[in-house]
Amino acid sequence: MTFKKSNEAFWWSLFSAGGVLSAMFLPAFVVISGYVLPNQSSADPGRAPYEHIHGIVSWWPVRVLLFGVIAFTFFHVAHRIRHVVNDLGWRHHTAPLSLVCYGGAFAGAGTAAWLLLTLPSVAQ
Amino acid sequence: MPDTTITLDVFRFQPDGGGHARRSTDGPTFKAYRVPYHEHWVVLDALNWIKDELDGTLSYRWSCRMGVCGSCGMMVNGVPKLTCAAFLKDYYPGTIRVEPLTYFAVERDLIVDMDGFLGKLKSVKPWLIRENEKPVDEGEYLQSPNELASFKQYSMCINCLLCYAACPVVGAEEDFIGPAALAIAQRYNLDSRDQGAAERADALSADEGAWGCTFVGECSEVCPKNVDPAGAIQRVKVDNVKDWYRKLLMPWGHR
Ligand code: SF4
Ligand code: FES
Repeated sequence: MTFKKSNEAFWWSLFSAGGVLSAMFLPAFVVISGYVLPNQSSADPGRAPYEHIHGIVSWWPVRVLLFGVIAFTFFHVAHRIRHVVNDLGWRHHTAPLSLVCYGGAFAGAGTAAWLLLTLPSVAQ
Repeated sequence: MPDTTITLDVFRFQPDGGGHARRSTDGPTFKAYRVPYHEHWVVLDALNWIKDELDGTLSYRWSCRMGVCGSCGMMVNGVPKLTCAAFLKDYYPGTIRVEPLTYFAVERDLIVDMDGFLGKLKSVKPWLIRENEKPVDEGEYLQSPNELASFKQYSMCINCLLCYAACPVVGAEEDFIGPAALAIAQRYNLDSRDQGAAERADALSADEGAWGCTFVGECSEVCPKNVDPAGAIQRVKVDNVKDWYRKLLMPWGHR
């Protein structure tokens, strides 16, 4: 048998990093940004939820962490979608499919990077 | 015949006409057989009864009748099963449809062509590879219980091919090495006595190897020996990723 060299290792490593990061952080992000902060802020009317979250996010370590979680999660999703479409029957000449999936992930990660970089810091 | 019977709807295909005056172009058909129902009978018992009492031309593989030899795998109501472990009582009173394993070419009735699988198995070199074989008088290669435990699960495979019949990638990609052969390759890679991982790497890291797997997971669902080929393939992928980055970061290294 002859075997085709594969670069799946690279895409799969992004996929699995994204799986780990999103499983670890996304539930916490949802709880913090969707529940804890808004409720806390309503108990403390001097501080609106948006400003509060903005303050946290503009801290640089948080920007970096957010970028990591968002970017890898995009690649996780791209890889999963690509394989689901493969499983549904599109298995050959899949270059356009890969381009759309991973291109989308690059675009998403780039947008996240741009938003996080240009987000103005707030004076704490 | 006892009062209670059960019906088996059996896939028949005899390209040579089965000794009868049938044209070899006759396509596959299903034939219904009424067999005695016993609680302790398995599908294989019913097939044996058909062969003994009703139609001696029915062809299928079997040997041990106890889930060890791996030769009696068939589709039972669309699910890959060892027929020596599929009890009639789990299907009674319904009809049981018995077919050859999906995705394999049929040689005759319930017998599939295994040659493709055997070629794939051989391509991953499923044996202990040593750089230097030590002389016999130096004794065995010793192994601790922990070293044995690290691969033992994957060594339980009986080559029944149920996992191949369960895997949609096997159906879609003819050259996909497939669950059992990949699990067996990982079994040797994990064996402390083996030094052949580099020789298996080409096959394992190819699109036809572990990367063909889209993690459907059905192989592990149907495996009668709890080999968990899906888990083994994931481990092959992780090892492969490490190799890939090692090569990228240290192109001067050996592997
Ligand atoms: S891995 Fe399990 S299902 Fe697959 S051939 Fe081996 S024993 Fe059968
Ligand atoms: S007859 Fe041996 S496994 Fe079923």
